[in-house]
Amino acid sequence: MNLNFLLAEQDRLAAVQAVGTEIEYCVPANLSLLGYRTAGYLVVGKDKWAYIENGKAKEIGVIADSWEYKVIPLIGNVVLETEDGQGKRVLVRSTMEHAARFGYVAQALNDKAANRKIRIFNNEEEASCAKCGGRLVAGARVCPRCMSKAEAFKKLLVVSKAHWKLLTAGLIAMVAASVIALAGPYFQEILINGALEPPAGQSPSMTLFYIAIAALVGGLVIGELLAIVRARVMANVSSNIAADLRKMVYEKAQSLSLGFMTSQRAGDIMNRVTGDTDRIRQLIQELCTTAIYQLILLVAASVLLFSADWRLAFVVLLPAPIVAYMNMYIWKHVLWKLFHKQWRIYDRANSFLHDVLSGIRVVKAFGKEGREIKRFRTYNSEFAAATIKSETLFNVLAPITNYLIQLGQYFVLLIGCNMILDNQMNVGELIKFSMYASMVFGPIAWMMFMPRWVANALISIDRVFSVIEEQPEVLEAQQAVQHRIRGEIEFRGVYFGYKSYEPVLKGVSFTIREGEMIGLVGHSGSGKSTLINLASRFYDVNEGEILIDGVNIREIQQEDMRSQIGVVLQETFLFTGTILDNIRYSKPDATNEEVIRAARIANAHSFIMNLPDGYDTLLEENGNNISGGERQRLAIARAILNDPPLLILDEATSALDIETEGVIQEALQRVMKGRTTIAIAHRLSTLRNADRLVVLEKGKVAEVGSHAELVEKRGIYYKLITAQRQMSKKEQKEELAI
Amino acid sequence: MISTTSEKETVASQAAEAVQEGTAGSLSDAADIYYLTKDNAEFSKTAGSMLSVTVGDQTHPVVYVHCSFPHTNKRMYLSVRTVENKEIGMIRSLEDFSEEIAQLLEEQLQIRYFTPEIKRVIAVKEEFGYSYWETETTAGLCRFTVRNGGGNAKLVTPNRLLVTDVDGNRFVIPDMNRLTDKEYRMVEICM
Repeated sequence: MNLNFLLAEQDRLAAVQAVGTEIEYCVPANLSLLGYRTAGYLVVGKDKWAYIENGKAKEIGVIADSWEYKVIPLIGNVVLETEDGQGKRVLVRSTMEHAARFGYVAQALNDKAANRKIRIFNNEEEASCAKCGGRLVAGARVCPRCMSKAEAFKKLLVVSKAHWKLLTAGLIAMVAASVIALAGPYFQEILINGALEPPAGQSPSMTLFYIAIAALVGGLVIGELLAIVRARVMANVSSNIAADLRKMVYEKAQSLSLGFMTSQRAGDIMNRVTGDTDRIRQLIQELCTTAIYQLILLVAASVLLFSADWRLAFVVLLPAPIVAYMNMYIWKHVLWKLFHKQWRIYDRANSFLHDVLSGIRVVKAFGKEGREIKRFRTYNSEFAAATIKSETLFNVLAPITNYLIQLGQYFVLLIGCNMILDNQMNVGELIKFSMYASMVFGPIAWMMFMPRWVANALISIDRVFSVIEEQPEVLEAQQAVQHRIRGEIEFRGVYFGYKSYEPVLKGVSFTIREGEMIGLVGHSGSGKSTLINLASRFYDVNEGEILIDGVNIREIQQEDMRSQIGVVLQETFLFTGTILDNIRYSKPDATNEEVIRAARIANAHSFIMNLPDGYDTLLEENGNNISGGERQRLAIARAILNDPPLLILDEATSALDIETEGVIQEALQRVMKGRTTIAIAHRLSTLRNADRLVVLEKGKVAEVGSHAELVEKRGIYYKLITAQRQMSKKEQKEELAI
Repeated sequence: MISTTSEKETVASQAAEAVQEGTAGSLSDAADIYYLTKDNAEFSKTAGSMLSVTVGDQTHPVVYVHCSFPHTNKRMYLSVRTVENKEIGMIRSLEDFSEEIAQLLEEQLQIRYFTPEIKRVIAVKEEFGYSYWETETTAGLCRFTVRNGGGNAKLVTPNRLLVTDVDGNRFVIPDMNRLTDKEYRMVEICM
């Protein structure tokens, strides 16, 4: 992200004068307090900041004179606030465009004010085009304006190379088909001139007649056969290329870090795997079947027209583009808009219906049926009106545009007939000519729509390749080693933030001993889950290091390491498939006995045996056909099947009722014995068996010790535990009172 | 504490009473709204261009003014809150304060709710799921990009269109009926 904008010469001079020659940060502060857009910049030097506008430093301050620089997000704008001896004050104001930049700058100012090392790791991507600065479409790196079309096609060509044989076969079929299509009118001419209406002085030839008829019929049959071959070959090629692309995107998505996957919404990735690759398939199919075919026809038919009679050719070809453009214009500006409006009203009515029907209990409870019927009536009549309007117009316009397209043909007939009467042309020639003329209109009309879908497909190509070419953030070290985990984990001065201007962990250092159970405690947002994400190396630390048995986590093979970590999360995800498959997920070659053993340890065996289909029970999407507690027990069985030396429990039991929790806790106790375990739990009673508790507060380790030690210390943990006890006591009392 | 009951509240409280037999407390008692008036609250602007308020003997050095109805009525039912989002009290109407204080509070509202009004739509071009707008607004000429769908252009009242661009900047067309036919057609496509 750009944190050091280049200033215009006058502004730069003013900035240098205000903060010194070294401008470390310079970001636009483009909004005045009165609500006007300005061309202002906040400039940060070594130890001063300044607000520069129109070549003047309007405000200058010493960074160390203030503290708590903070970005306050307001509605549609942000302000950078700070506090000094006189209280809080607004430094600058900006539109949302630069909000993230101010986040970084505020962090840098705070570090400077406290005389600390600046800890911002500016690795966020700029959401604007690197070439023109324009806004980017999500997932693309170059904007539509700057994208080189040749470059995108080249990438596609490289992927298509593997299928060149089929592609060539398809192209040959296509050229052959167009030659046959173009030969049709020629034989028509022979048919008419040779047999039906021979020119004066010639007698009709039956041989010619039969040859022409045979050629016409043969041409038709071969043409159709070739069309079938062409369509089959091209469907095959384009589907294969799209399948290759889908495979590439999917494989890449699997290997990319969790950071990338969570920053791109899952739906977006899914869209790229399915939607975008399909659009590319359509492009290839359309390009290789229709587009090239139409182009050959257009060029060849035009050449033949001109060689037959150039004057007539002009009559046909001159109005063609105009008519085709009119046709497109009517579609794009009138009909499309009307239909668009109709769909929107339909959508609105639909979502209203969905809303009301799914909330029918509420409607009935408040007795508002009458009101809802009235509202639906309005939507309904609106939709009917829009449909009538667009359909009426469509039914009027469609024949007119069709007529316009055909208009050239009538002119040809008019002039042609006159030429026949003047003996400049014979009937056969005229028929041939008008047939060629009719071949020209189709391709022209079709090409008017081409730019739009080619451009859409180009964006798809870019979006697909932007995933394929993405570099994983968590890189495998060149000489990554396999390491058999024993279970000692050391955090050494760890700094980390998902956005580096908002550090979640700040200088975390502590060691977990082999076989120890550690409970992570703290308010929500204190960094507990982040710590676990780092220990699993879903993300790399910004600063500091994490060591497993003394080996830096970055030097261990990722897959090997994660296969030795068992994870149970609050939200269990189970795949569609049998219970057996789900438990076996962590170790696909596990024997049935091993699976049963794991299930018994996890207290899952009994409930599984009670199911009519036992371990072969088919789970629905995300295990919706079993209860939450049962799902969780399956997740535990899955986590321990592999006998992992390291176990991570992130709120594994917090979504369950007390009784189920008891059952699962008992299972976990058995599992945790002799295994390094890191557990997070909101209910502190869950952690009473932990060897040590680590209390996190605002991203720092605040307290470490056993339950008894921390209670005695009367610090944060003590406060948390007394608050929870009071709460449960109150609940108990209330229950007793009932 | 002042607790006057509006007509609506009376109806609502009667309904509540009908349901919970014998529970006498009205809704306005339960809601416990503390209204700031010119008699019990003293607003002032700090040296750092921020708002401070003194209620009784307690001074809050920095407070923010939030609107209850930012689209339908910006001058009524304002909430005065601290940075920790604690409510100091509510203002029933800016009319209850002197012109000078009302202006000060309005200034703060302008800062918090930055939503330039679109005076003229020059062009809206739709491409690949995004629309590119060029408009003349009360904050000057603005070019911005809006992601299609997801309620980024929505009618907050039957005639007032709120447009949120990809960065989170907000723009508003105060009255769709005042747009020319051409403008309306361009805008309508994105709704």
